[in-house]
Amino acid sequence: MSEAVRQHPALMEVNPPLIRAKDYHDLTEQISEITEGDVFKTPLKYWITLAITGSITVLLGGMLTFLVWNGIGVWGNNRPVGWAWDITNFVFWIGIGHAGTLISAILFLFRQKWRTSINRSAEAMTLFAVMCAGIFPLFHTGRPWRAYWLFPIPNTDLNIWQNFRSPLIWDVFAVSTYFTVSLLFWFTGLVPDLATLRDRAVTRTKQVVFGLLSLGWRGSARHWRNYEMSYLILAAISTPLVLSVHSIVSFDFATSVIPGWHTTIFPPYFVAGAIFSGFACVMTLLIIARWALNLNNIITMKHLENMNKIILVTGSVVGYAYATEFFIAWYSGNTYERYAFLNRALGPYWWAYWTMVTCNVISPQFFWFKKLRTSIPVMFVLSITTNIGMWFERFVIIVTSLHRDFLPSSWGYFKPTWVDICTFIGTIGLFLTLFLLFARFLPMIAISEVKGVLSYEKGAFKDQEVVAK
Amino acid sequence: MSDHHAIHAETYQMEAARWQAGRNTLAFVALASILACLAGYFLDAPRFFHSYLVAFAFTTFIGIGAFFFVMVQFLTGSAWSVTMRRIMENIMITIPVGLILFIPIVLGIKEIYPWTNPEVVAASESLRAKSAYLSENFFILRGVIYFALWSLWAVAIYRQSTKQDTEKSIQQMHVASRWSAPGLFLAVVVGSLASFDWLMSLMPTWYSTIFGLVTLAGGSLSFFSIVTLVCLGFRRAGILKDAITDEHYHDLGKWLFALTAFYTYVAFSQYMLIWYANIPEETEWYRHRMEGGWFAISIAMPFLRFLIPFFVLLCRAAKRSKTIIALIAVWSLVVEYIDLYWVVMPTYYKDGPQFHWLDLATLAATVSICGLVFWSRFQKHKMVPVGDLRLEQSLHFENA
Repeated sequence: MSEAVRQHPALMEVNPPLIRAKDYHDLTEQISEITEGDVFKTPLKYWITLAITGSITVLLGGMLTFLVWNGIGVWGNNRPVGWAWDITNFVFWIGIGHAGTLISAILFLFRQKWRTSINRSAEAMTLFAVMCAGIFPLFHTGRPWRAYWLFPIPNTDLNIWQNFRSPLIWDVFAVSTYFTVSLLFWFTGLVPDLATLRDRAVTRTKQVVFGLLSLGWRGSARHWRNYEMSYLILAAISTPLVLSVHSIVSFDFATSVIPGWHTTIFPPYFVAGAIFSGFACVMTLLIIARWALNLNNIITMKHLENMNKIILVTGSVVGYAYATEFFIAWYSGNTYERYAFLNRALGPYWWAYWTMVTCNVISPQFFWFKKLRTSIPVMFVLSITTNIGMWFERFVIIVTSLHRDFLPSSWGYFKPTWVDICTFIGTIGLFLTLFLLFARFLPMIAISEVKGVLSYEKGAFKDQEVVAK
Repeated sequence: MSDHHAIHAETYQMEAARWQAGRNTLAFVALASILACLAGYFLDAPRFFHSYLVAFAFTTFIGIGAFFFVMVQFLTGSAWSVTMRRIMENIMITIPVGLILFIPIVLGIKEIYPWTNPEVVAASESLRAKSAYLSENFFILRGVIYFALWSLWAVAIYRQSTKQDTEKSIQQMHVASRWSAPGLFLAVVVGSLASFDWLMSLMPTWYSTIFGLVTLAGGSLSFFSIVTLVCLGFRRAGILKDAITDEHYHDLGKWLFALTAFYTYVAFSQYMLIWYANIPEETEWYRHRMEGGWFAISIAMPFLRFLIPFFVLLCRAAKRSKTIIALIAVWSLVVEYIDLYWVVMPTYYKDGPQFHWLDLATLAATVSICGLVFWSRFQKHKMVPVGDLRLEQSLHFENA
C-alpha cells in the first residue's frame, strides 16, 4: 500500500502520516524510557500528583469502612428514591470503560489504524473504571463479604437460589465477563511489549518480573501468528460485549414499569452514552499524559481530532435518544409518561436535566468546527463537561424517575449525604491512582502496534518525519 | 501491481448493448407490474393499498440504508469499498423516486391508516391526545418533507461523486463529507420519524422508542444484500471482475453478518423489554402477532432473522464463499419482506396472512421502478468512481 502512496502524491493528503518517529528503535526508546529508570528519580510532580490521588483513595477506604460499620443508611437513598448516587456512579464508571473496548475491539475490526496510539491506555482505563464501578453495587448489598451469594455456586447448606429472571443477576454476569475479557485482551496486547521491557531490563528483579509476565515471548514468526489470531478472536468476542454490558445495565431500568425507565430505546441509547463518556474520559487523561510525557509525535492532533469526531457522533446519538424519548412520551398519549418527562425538564430536578442537556447535547456540537475540534483547550474543557453531563444523565434517569411515585403521598426529594459525595470522589481518586501507576510502570502506548503504523509510512515520509521530530 | 492494472485498461463503462438489455427487461417488468397494480386497484382497492404499503416500505428503507452507508464511507474515508461505491450510490439515488411512490400512500391513506377514521379517534383518549400529529394533512406534508430533504442530500452527494470521475480532485471528497455529516441526522432522525409515521402508526395507540432503529437496521441489511447480489450478478456477466475481488466479497459477508446481529439486537431489545414489563398498551402489538396464522411467523422469526444466517455466516470460509453470501443475501431480502409484511398486515388481517397476487405485483412495481432509476445511472456514469483517490487502494485491498 505504501507503494501506491509513493506513486500518487495526492494520496498523501488522503492518508496523512499517523505518527512520526525516526525509526523503530527510536519509538521503542521513547515509550520504554517512561517506564524505566530509577523509581526514585521520577519527577517530583509525579509523586505530588500520586500523593493527592492516593489520599483520595484512602478517603474511599474510610468511607466504605464507615458505610459497612453503620449500614447503608449513611447514604441518602430512601423511599421513594431507593437507588440514587450508588447506581448513578456504577453506571457512570461502567460507561467510562466502554471507550477502551470500542477502541480495542470495534475499531480493530474496522481497520482503524489510528487506534494503535490510544488503545493501550484506553483499555487500562476500562479495567480501572470497571473496578470503581463494581464497588457501588458490592457495597450496596450491605454485606459485601456475602457478595459471592450473587453467583450460582452449588450450595446445599445456604439454600440460596439466584433469581435468574432479575436483570440485577444478569448484571453480575455481564460485568464480570466484561472485566475478564477486557483483562485478557489488555494482557494479550501487552505480552510483546512486556518482552521488550524484559529484554531492556537492567536489574535482575525487572528481568524476572517482566520475564514471567511476558510468558516466554521470543517474537518468533509462530508467536506472532498465534498472537495475531488470538487478538482477532478476542476482538470478535469483545465486540458483542461493547453492546451487551451497557444494554444489560440499561435493562436494570427498562424492564421495570416506571415511566422514564421503561422505554425500548434504552439499550442502544445507553451504549452510545457509554462510548460518549468513555471517549471523553480517555480524552481528558490523554491530553494530560501527552503533555506531561511529551508524546505529541505519537498521539497526534489527528488522533485527538478523530476522537472528537466520535464524541460528536455519540453525543448526537444520545441527543437523538433524548429527543425520541420526549417525542414518544408525548406521542404515547399516556398521562404518566408525559408527566415523567415534563417533570424531568421543569420539575424540582430541572437543574440536573438542563445541565445534562447542555453538557451532552449542546456542548459536543462545537466539534462541528475543525478549528474547535483541533484546539487542545477547547477539547479539554469539552471532555470534562461531557463527563459531568454523562454523570448527570444517569442521575436524571435514576432519581427523577423515582422521586415521583405513582401515589403523590409517596413523593420525595433526594439529597446526597456527605458519605455519598465522599465515596464518589474517592472512586475518582482510586481511578486516577491506578492510572498513574499504570502510566509509570507499563508501556502506555502499544509499542509493537504503533510500529506497524510507522512501517506503512516509512520511506515515503522520511524527510518530513525528521523535520517534524 | 500497477502494471497489472494497466494491462486491462478497464474503462468501467457499461457496454451499450448490455445496458439496453437490462433497461428493457426492467422497463417490461415495471410496465407489466404497474398495469397489474392498476387492475388490482380497480378490482380490490383496499387490498391494493395494504400490499402496496409493504412494497413501498421495503424499497424506501433500502434507499435510506444506502443513503446512510454512502455517507458513512465518505466520512470515514473508507478505502476498501471504493470499487463498489458507485453501485451503492446508484441505490441511494433511487430515493427521489419515493416522492412518486408516496402518491399511492396518499391516495389510500384512509384505507391504510386506522387513525384517519374519526370514530376510532373519538373512542380513544390517547388518540385524541395526539390527533394534532396523526392528521391526514400533516402526515402527507411530513412525508413530502422527508423525501424532499433526503433527495436534496442524496443528489448533492451523488453530484460530487460523479463530478470526481472527471475532475479527479480531493475537493469533491471534502464537499461530499461536508454534506454527509449532517446527512447522517437526516438518515437516522428523519428515517425514524418516517418509520413512526408509515409503520408504527398502523396501530396508533402503540409506541416504541426503538422502532425507528429496528426499521432502519432491516433496511440496511437489505441494502447490503442488494449490493452483494448486484456485484455477484455483474461478476457472472463478466463486469467489474477485477475491481470487486474475493476480498471485497469477504467484507460484504462481514457486513451481512454484522447487520444480522445488529438487527437482532434492536429487535430483541424491543420484544424483550415489552414482554418483561408486560404493560397492556405495549404488549397489544405483539399480542396481535401471536394470533392465528401470524403466530407461526412470529415463532419462525428468531430462526429466519438470526439463528440461521448468523451461524451460516459465522466462519471465515462462509463469508468468503460467493455461493453462501449470495444465498444469505437472497435469504435476508426475503425475510425482510416477510418481516415488513408481519409488521403491516396484522393491522387488516387479524387471523393470519392472506397472500394475494397483489403482494407480488406491488413489490415488482416498486422494485422495478427503483431498479430502472438505478440502472439508468450506469449509462450516464462510470460503474466505479474512477476519480476517487483511493481507487488504487481499493483495487489492491486485502483482508489482513
